[in-house]
Amino acid sequence: MNYKRFIVYQGTIGMASSMIFPFYILMLRNVGNSYSQFGWAYGLFALTAAICYPIIGKIADKAGDQLLLSIYSWGMALILLVFPLANEIWHVYILQILMGVLGAVQKNSEKTVLARHVVKETAGKEIGNYHIWTSIAAAAAIIGTGYLVDFFTISSIFYIASALFAWSGFSILKKDKTLSEFQA
Amino acid sequence: MKRYLMLLVYVTLLFVSLHYFIDQRAEPITEDRNRLLPVKMKAIKTTDSTAEIQQVVLDANSEEDPIAIAGMQHSQGGHTEYPDGILLDMKPYNKILAFDAEEKTITVQSGATWRDIQDYINPYGLALKVSQSQNIFTIGGSLSVNAHGLDIRHGSLIDTVESLRLLDANGEILTLSPEQNTELFQAVVGGYGLFGIILDVTLRLTDDEMYEIHSEQLQYDDYSDYFNENVIADDSVKMHLARISLSPDSYLKEMYVINYQAMEPKGVPMDPQKLREETLIAVPKFFLGLARLNEQGKRTFWNTQKTYSASIDGKVISRNNVMRSDSEFMEYSHPENTEVLQEYFVPVKNFEAYIDDLRETLIDEEDFNLLNITIRYVEKNEKAVLSYAKEDMFSLVLLINQGTDAKSIEDTGRVVRNMIDVTLDYGGSYYLPYFGYPTKEQMAEAYPRTREFFDLKEEYDPSGRFMNIFYEEYKQ
Repeated sequence: MNYKRFIVYQGTIGMASSMIFPFYILMLRNVGNSYSQFGWAYGLFALTAAICYPIIGKIADKAGDQLLLSIYSWGMALILLVFPLANEIWHVYILQILMGVLGAVQKNSEKTVLARHVVKETAGKEIGNYHIWTSIAAAAAIIGTGYLVDFFTISSIFYIASALFAWSGFSILKKDKTLSEFQA
Repeated sequence: MKRYLMLLVYVTLLFVSLHYFIDQRAEPITEDRNRLLPVKMKAIKTTDSTAEIQQVVLDANSEEDPIAIAGMQHSQGGHTEYPDGILLDMKPYNKILAFDAEEKTITVQSGATWRDIQDYINPYGLALKVSQSQNIFTIGGSLSVNAHGLDIRHGSLIDTVESLRLLDANGEILTLSPEQNTELFQAVVGGYGLFGIILDVTLRLTDDEMYEIHSEQLQYDDYSDYFNENVIADDSVKMHLARISLSPDSYLKEMYVINYQAMEPKGVPMDPQKLREETLIAVPKFFLGLARLNEQGKRTFWNTQKTYSASIDGKVISRNNVMRSDSEFMEYSHPENTEVLQEYFVPVKNFEAYIDDLRETLIDEEDFNLLNITIRYVEKNEKAVLSYAKEDMFSLVLLINQGTDAKSIEDTGRVVRNMIDVTLDYGGSYYLPYFGYPTKEQMAEAYPRTREFFDLKEEYDPSGRFMNIFYEEYKQ
């Protein structure tokens, strides 16, 4: 995994998650129906993430970022296959907990890769550049999906996002000579 | 290698997910409202008890509240709404009360849907005689609009009703049938909820059969002859459907027809067929989405429809499955636009001339976004007071995409009134459950017994207990 591939990877998963997150609320409206249920769904997500960070942090330094990123991608790809089948609020709670774990994996790995790559003196510029591309991908995905929902169903969006995650997981597992570059 | 293994696992699980997803797509989406008529009601009442419904009427009498009766609320002209009235939601009132497989009759509460009945009777090898093409509507709602569908052999919905029970404005329960309280019976079926609350209905059923699908393409000027010679004259054809092109290349010229022909029964009785669930709707939804956009999209949509109709030629399907078609792909949510329906009836013999005139009317209406026209057949039937089938007619259902702002409503209204004028010129009529674009004069011309209908309303419900916006707009 070289740095360029990492940027492409982050762009892809940024697109995939931007496709679902703003529109995910439409799904919740079908499944749940009160603000407190919304609150719980997102609260559980953040809470599980908080619990997982210390463990993930330790694993990251031993197992390597690439492995964690691939776990995130494949995990999300599989979870999104379950979403269209969810029809009870407790299904959504469980999925939110799983996504909380994976979200923590992604957030932590994103930062460790950056930390291992950037040079202290130019860190500001490099991280700025990094955010340009990932944000552009996310913006394109959000705007595009707004139109897609008109053409497809909300469930199809989950499947499309799932396929994108699978593709990102597939590409990140590609063997690379510069792999060691990111190992501590 | 690991990643290929992972990919394999993923693809497998993808198919598992899709499989279950298709399987569980059962519940139809009920909320409709084309959002042209948002109405504030005083209260919404809903119950599954007859006594409580009776109480709602008695309370409304003492409080002088108007009641609007609602099922799935797919009518689009405020037939289920009245400002500051009580909305009586009948959906939970949906029990199956009696069923006789020998006599082929079923008695159901009016909030039950056609789907509920199909699920119940399919194992007995029985099917509905007449219902809409979609099965998501309630029985009470369909009766109140005197719906029709693909069937060409069993007349209108009113012909399949043995009897029904009506809760009237005094809170009393009456039994209505072609023999009993006939006048009221003929007003209530196709009565848009203005005479009372339909409590339960006894319907006559028929045998479920296997049909072979035949599809063909033809030109609009051949259609009437084709229909007379190959469809209505051939007793084995039980159901029929046609569509006419809205593609710029063949606008209102090219058509295709789909006939459902009964197969020789192999064993008696036929084995119950598995009821089909809605399949993936993303594909039709996508092509309909293209048609909304522009001319090129309409071209693609028409080509897809033709390809699809050709692809089902020769397939075999049970009657029950024909009568539970997919409608969800038409669900449309857009902040500023909505989709409305129109339906016009025109005598079979006048079809060709009518289409020529309709084309002339629409040719310069570039902003009028017409997406689809489906054609069915209704036999002459004047049993209901508000009967649309003054002779043997083709019915054309038009799907129109329009804006929700005042200007769009005005523009669409003008085009619709023009189209209705053309329809009336050919001895036709139009269907009443849609948005109130037509004028009172047009209603009176399309329905010669309009005056009688409103007089009956005055007679049976003098205090105006049962009200809706449709009545308010059109009473004369």
